[in-house]
Amino acid sequence: MQPGPGGSGLTGSRGALFEMHAAISAEEDLAHVERVLAGEVQAFEGIVRRWQGPLVNMAWRYCRDRDRAEEMAQEAFVCAWRGLASWRRESSFSTWLFALAANVFRSELQRFPVVNVPLEEVAEPAGPTTQHEGLAEKQIQEAVRRAVMALPTRYREPVVLYYFHEMDVAAASRTMGLPEGTMRARLARGRELLRKRFPHLSRESGTAVIPVLRAEKEALR
Amino acid sequence: MNPKTEHKTSRDAIDRILAVEEELIPSSGFLAETMERVREEAAMPRRIPFPWLRALPGIVLAVAVLCWSGFELMRAVLTAAQERASVQVQLSAATARAMEPAGWVALALFVSMLSWLFARRLAGRSGLL
Repeated sequence: MQPGPGGSGLTGSRGALFEMHAAISAEEDLAHVERVLAGEVQAFEGIVRRWQGPLVNMAWRYCRDRDRAEEMAQEAFVCAWRGLASWRRESSFSTWLFALAANVFRSELQRFPVVNVPLEEVAEPAGPTTQHEGLAEKQIQEAVRRAVMALPTRYREPVVLYYFHEMDVAAASRTMGLPEGTMRARLARGRELLRKRFPHLSRESGTAVIPVLRAEKEALR
Repeated sequence: MNPKTEHKTSRDAIDRILAVEEELIPSSGFLAETMERVREEAAMPRRIPFPWLRALPGIVLAVAVLCWSGFELMRAVLTAAQERASVQVQLSAATARAMEPAGWVALALFVSMLSWLFARRLAGRSGLL
């Protein structure tokens, strides 16, 4: 996940333009950090402006509560402010910031956990009987996201970060501070749990979800 | 095969659902509120780090005293055991009776300490400490 020019996240392909943007962003980050460390508090605004989108979205994926996501992101920025001098520049600023934010979100959620239903109790998505396919699709998506929140903590975070980082295992493992192998193993287990919960979704690939559900229902008749 | 590509080729519906997430735009006041908090932090007096260097002699002394106490205790116990073995000191019945609950007292103290540590840990987790 990289920052967009307006501060919100930029999704999509990573082309040359994107790489260039990332390089410029890294330079700007470095410049802002230098100014902040030199005592210019206002320079931190540039960092918040650029990273507020990614951090709020990352927090949202951790708790799925907009207000809380903003509170957690704000806490992460304050922690980043306090610990800015500890960024050793061995990794990029974004890597450091995401890792710090993940730590903040993790401890915030340990202090005040999100109330989740157990994975087995996540409602089955409404299927083919639904008149409006768009609505049914939305319900399915919602059920899958609720199921992610219901995963055991050790599998939930890898899954959350993997999709936040646009399915980049290396980036997700850097954010979590875990070796890639461990990350891959936890991710595989998390995805396996999700697939077990929604077997019809894992069988299907490359097509819309609704036709598969419909075919399943017809086969049962 | 690049692991990233590998994952992408084996995408299923779950992947597609989770990969496409609605982008949340931070509320208009987020930046200002965050900067307000940062300014408050900046205005606060700097936290004084624990003076490890100054505390070092004290810590070393404390460790030394603890070690010395442990050593002395062990020596006393060993000496007492040797004397007991050689001289066969006969404790009076009253003294022996008084010593009996000592083990229980020690156990009770140990359990109390464990319970105190546990309570502290719980309080720490809940943010009370």
